[in-house]
Amino acid sequence: MPTFIPRAALSRIAVSLVSLALVAGCAAPPPADDKEAVAEFEQLNDPLEPMNRAIFEFNQVVDKALLKPVAQGYRHVVPAFGRDRVRDFLNNLRSPIILANDLLQGQPDRAMQTAMRFAFNTGFGAAGLFDVAAPGGLPFHDEDFGQTFAVWGIGEGPYLVLPILGPSNPRDTVGLAAEWLVDPLNLHLDHVGQDWAIWTRAGMYGVDKRERYLDKLDEIERGSLDYYASLRSMYRQIRATEVKNGTVDLKTTPSREKR
Amino acid sequence: MLSRRHLLAAIVSTFALVSSPASAFADPAAGDFITKLADTAMTTVAAKGLSDDERAKRFRTLFIDNFDLPEIGKLVLARHWSAPTTTDEQRTEFVRLFEEIQVLTWARRFKDYSGEKLEILAIEPGTTGDLQVESRIKREKLDPIMVGWRVRKAGAIYRVLDIKVEGASMAQTHRAEYSSVIQANGGTVDGLLAAMRKKITQLQAESKTN
Repeated sequence: MPTFIPRAALSRIAVSLVSLALVAGCAAPPPADDKEAVAEFEQLNDPLEPMNRAIFEFNQVVDKALLKPVAQGYRHVVPAFGRDRVRDFLNNLRSPIILANDLLQGQPDRAMQTAMRFAFNTGFGAAGLFDVAAPGGLPFHDEDFGQTFAVWGIGEGPYLVLPILGPSNPRDTVGLAAEWLVDPLNLHLDHVGQDWAIWTRAGMYGVDKRERYLDKLDEIERGSLDYYASLRSMYRQIRATEVKNGTVDLKTTPSREKR
Repeated sequence: MLSRRHLLAAIVSTFALVSSPASAFADPAAGDFITKLADTAMTTVAAKGLSDDERAKRFRTLFIDNFDLPEIGKLVLARHWSAPTTTDEQRTEFVRLFEEIQVLTWARRFKDYSGEKLEILAIEPGTTGDLQVESRIKREKLDPIMVGWRVRKAGAIYRVLDIKVEGASMAQTHRAEYSSVIQANGGTVDGLLAAMRKKITQLQAESKTN
């Protein structure tokens, strides 16, 4: 196991998650004779709701105290031009992962696009600082293992809120772990003993992502009666859209839910 | 001689032909409706130099005229809308409070809009006889957003039932949210209405201090 996996930390988190689940318990399903309530319960797909809400509250505290202020500071200090360079650079570093997932999903055209982007941006875009491929007709698209598993027909499983990382599900969590383990750059950096770079990259990725969501999340929280429930619903809908690579599914509009 | 099964098949297929939804671009008027709605929003609600009250007033007018609020209420409240314990007063009150929250959250967003351009990508028949208008909103310096509009035609009038932003349906999100609130408040619609009133007071107080 590579040294950048904090084994002790991982097992500690796993243990505290399990004990939290035991303490918080599961959401009680509605009585079986109330068919509509049961349908709604299944629709929400959140049997671990008490635990999830507890982790969500914890995340909110960490976000308000640390993540959000850091993202705001980043936006305040670094001009948009600089932030775009950071994003282009990080996106370019993700190329091997995106390429692998394009291939695993059986999308040779998109894989070709990713490979060409990587070559152009690394070669002509100052090692990826400038996305020169997008204006040249090769736009960025993201992929991850969670989406690949979904394409392979693996279900999302129950909704899950991860500490710090936020909304997820077992499928996407495994995908996230897989990505962390097989990323070639991370493996290389670990091999040459430069683990600090792995953590710096992960940190920058987080700050960039949080900065991008600053206004959106504020808006959602402001307009919500139940922020947790709003985010849960949106996460699941948006993930489903991402799996289909943005192809719109007309059948998921409410009033005639399948489940 | 036609067997009964053949006859049935013939009837079914005739019906299927008659009631088959219009083809992908059969109703360009629905696209025109959305284009016009976006244009009007940009020229009236997003106009520069408006007072907050005036902007909210303009948004409300546009919202009421172009969105089918009672139908949206029905979609969002779902099983609680038709529950035998829910009264007409509660339904009316729900739609009123829902409208209020939408005005308070959306009107403000238009303050920052400028130069957004809407482009119609597709108009497709949806599952319930409604039309799904897919659009892309191009923004200055920001990534474009994909917005889907669920549109219902009644006579010659089109009305919006739902908006999907990047794949997340507003109606579905509100439905999940409100059912959570109802559940947390003893399963009663009154609990939801109380929470909505509280939210409105809070939003109004915020917009006064800003």
